[in-house]
This record gives sequence, C-alpha cells and structure tokens, in this order.
Amino acid sequence: MTMLLISLALAVASAEAPATQAACPATSVALTAELASWSTPKPLVAAKSADATSDAALTLGQAADLALSPTPDMRYAIRPSRPGGSVSHGGMAQFIVAKAGIYRVAIDSAAWLDVIADAKSLESVSHGDGPDCSGIRKMVDFKLAPGRYLLQIAGNGAPKVRVLVTSVPAA
Amino acid sequence: MRLCGSAALLVTAALFAGAIVARSPWAAAADAPVRAAPVENAARIALGRRLFYDADLSIDGSMACATCHEQAHGFADGNSTHAGVTGEPGRRNVQTLANVARRKSLTWGDATIRSLEAQALVPIMGEHPVEMGMKGQEAELARRLGANACYGKLFRAAFPEAGGAIDMRTVTLALAAFQRTLISADAPADRFAKGEASAISLAARTGATLFRQNCASCHSGPDFTDDRFHCVAIEKSDGRDAGLGEISRRVDDNGKFRTPSLRNVAVSAPYFHDGASRTLEAAIRRHRGIALKGGQEARVIAYLHALTDETFLTDKRFAYPDEACEAS
Repeated sequence: MTMLLISLALAVASAEAPATQAACPATSVALTAELASWSTPKPLVAAKSADATSDAALTLGQAADLALSPTPDMRYAIRPSRPGGSVSHGGMAQFIVAKAGIYRVAIDSAAWLDVIADAKSLESVSHGDGPDCSGIRKMVDFKLAPGRYLLQIAGNGAPKVRVLVTSVPAA
Repeated sequence: MRLCGSAALLVTAALFAGAIVARSPWAAAADAPVRAAPVENAARIALGRRLFYDADLSIDGSMACATCHEQAHGFADGNSTHAGVTGEPGRRNVQTLANVARRKSLTWGDATIRSLEAQALVPIMGEHPVEMGMKGQEAELARRLGANACYGKLFRAAFPEAGGAIDMRTVTLALAAFQRTLISADAPADRFAKGEASAISLAARTGATLFRQNCASCHSGPDFTDDRFHCVAIEKSDGRDAGLGEISRRVDDNGKFRTPSLRNVAVSAPYFHDGASRTLEAAIRRHRGIALKGGQEARVIAYLHALTDETFLTDKRFAYPDEACEAS
C-alpha cells in the first residue's frame, strides 16, 4: 500500500493534464501567409456535377465562399464516404496545380471533402483542426502533382461553405 | 478542487487485484459469448445499419452516428472530443461500440442508461452538449425518412407488427439491433487464447501478465472493462466534468467515469473521458497507482496492440451500406 501511494505521488508530477480552451478574442486572429486570404473570401457557385466545374474554378491561395446545392440535387463524381442527409448540401469545384507539393484544403465546417483525380479520391497525408479562433474548422493536406483536381464537398450542414486551397510551405 | 478518489479506494483496488490475479485476461476473451441479434431480426439489422450511417438523424443533415463512431477506429473516433452540429464542443471522448451488446452500462458517466435504445437518444436528442440536435424534431425525422422509398420498405419489413411505423422508438430499436451485431472476437489476443501460440509476440505475452497485475482490477473480462465507474485519473478535477456525480448528485461519485473497453484500443487514440491523453503511454501514466518499471510499459502496450481486431475493423457487414436497398 505504501508503495502504491509513493507511486501515486511520483505519477502526479508527470500527469498529462487535460487541455483548457481559451476564449477567442473579439478581433480576428492573425493567420500565416498561406492562410491570409481566409478573411477575404470571394463568392463562387459550386457545381452540382463533375462535368459542370469549369465555371467553378478555385484559385490557389484565395479563399472562396462556395454556394452549395441541396444534397438530393447533387451528382457527385464519386460516392462520398459521408454523403450527408437529404437536408444537407454539397458542391464541387476544380483547381489547377502547377507545381508539385503539399496542398492544404481548409474549410469552415466539418463537411466531408474529397480531392479527386482520375475519378479516384486521393489519400490525404495529414489532417487537423484550423488555428484557434480562426474560423477554420478543419484542414486536410494532400501531396499533389501538377494537374487538374476536383474538390468535392458533401454533407455540409449549411448552404454555404468557406474553402481555401493553398500550398503548404516546405518545413 | 479535489483530488479524484481517495486512499481508501486504492486499498480496495489492491485487494480486488488480488482476487483477480489468477485469471488470465485472454482466457476470458476467447469464450465469452456476445449476445447476437436473432436471425429473424435481419431486416431490423439492415435498417439499423442504414440509419447508423444516415446524417438525416441530425438537424442539419451533417452528422450520422458513424460520423463519430468510425469503423476504422473500432467504432470510436480519432479526436479528443467531437463537436456537434451547432459547433458546440463535445465534452467526452467517443467510446468504442465493439461488443457493446455485452455492456452492462453505457456512456462515460450515467449509470442509469442501460439499453442501447436509451443510449441512442443521448446523441440524437441530447442538449448537454448538443450533438445531433434533434430534440423536438421527431416529426421532422419521420418526414425525412418517410420520403425515402427504401426506408419505407425497410421499416415495414423490420416492424410489421407496428405497420412499419417510422418514429423514434422504431429508429432506436433498429439502431440497437445493428449495434448488437458489432462483435469483435478475432484479435491476436483472442486467437492466442484459443491456442494459437504465435498469435502474439513474447513481449505481448509478458505484457499480458503485467496487465493482469496492474490493470485488470477494472479492465476485466472479455472486453477489458468491469462496466463500473471509477475515479482513476491522477490529476485534480477542474470541476468541468463531475462524471458519475453529475447524474447521481453524490459527492463521492464526482470524478468517476465508466471503465472503457480496451478492444481495438490501439486504433482509438486519444484516451480517457476527456480525450486528453494522446497516446497509450500517456493514458497508462495518467492512472493512479500504476508504476511500470523499465520496459514494462512497452510490454503492456504490446499487449494492448494485440487487442486490435483487423477482421472487425474491415468487416463489410458493418460498413457504410451500398446504395442498393436491402428490401424489395
């Protein structure tokens, strides 16, 4: 018993304490250069089908507020792993990569997203939350070669989603 | 502010550990039956599976049961907590559904919830925090599901006695029927227990012995949980989550949380009720009264990895269903 209590005392010092969540400041937080356009999005209407994305082109490094369509109206390029319910929204847009590297897709919701090439969803190389208090809900990174890609967003709770596709600086 | 638990609890734990030390954790794992749904409930299971993956069970259509309970993570989650449809942060880490049919208690801190049907209402309709946000939306749920021809057929096949009624009762009955099929019994540790000597490494075998000596007073039985509520974290409670005490209103229950099952634990990080322990090492070190020396911790972790059931993680019967309707 004594040994148990000694162990307890030693272990307390190395405990991993639960993280606390700080309140966000009233003003917007500063973002790194690759995310800087997050607070100045441009409007864009997302496509309902893969063959209609020519009018829904994202510019790398420029955030966009994508207007989405009701999920029942969507004709996705591939079946999303999480398509969302009948009252959710989805959309597709294309972007072009000129230089090979790691590219990040940041969005302000928890919607399901696929980056598609050759009718296949690409595996992400990492994912995580956005910077605290930035409004970015999640960020997913992909290793991309030069070419044209389709961004497919599914199961969004709102009819609009903010999205930014941007290159990730080499570490 | 109080230190979770008491010295008296440690005495109890030590005595209890003595009582179970002769029992191998894997011996129990091999043979304990999991209550499977009857064959005649096939339609109900198929319906429950489809509902489990359907985000129309959330107010804005963005969140399904499977959003948090991912098969690749043993039907747990890879996040500390999971925000709900309103963006309200989650309070507690998502627990596995492996062998959930065998659980005598459900949820981290509510001993009164003892059926899967009742548990389903917590995420669907709960407000502390809001997860799927459907409180007061039963009619809307019935409208959404009723507009889907496949659901019409499935509800009629699953609930003929109720005329195929689509309501919260039949929805939760079907969800529970599917969850009772989520049986994990083919981890390397299970195969070792059945006599396959090479199923786990020597380190894992040593780890099993250490596990039995240090962990199995609470992480007991075939799913490595006693289904009871304990206060094991070494840090002081910050008062944000009283655990069992939040429901029971007993001061002695503050800081107590249900022992989580450890099946597929290696693929369900992070750990603890708050998801604040990011690794198995951190989780082990957060337990009071456990002090593993030298390479002991690594051996226990090797054993915990032997609880990963790849068959369960990839079983197509549990996956997102095809678009084709199961009922004609």
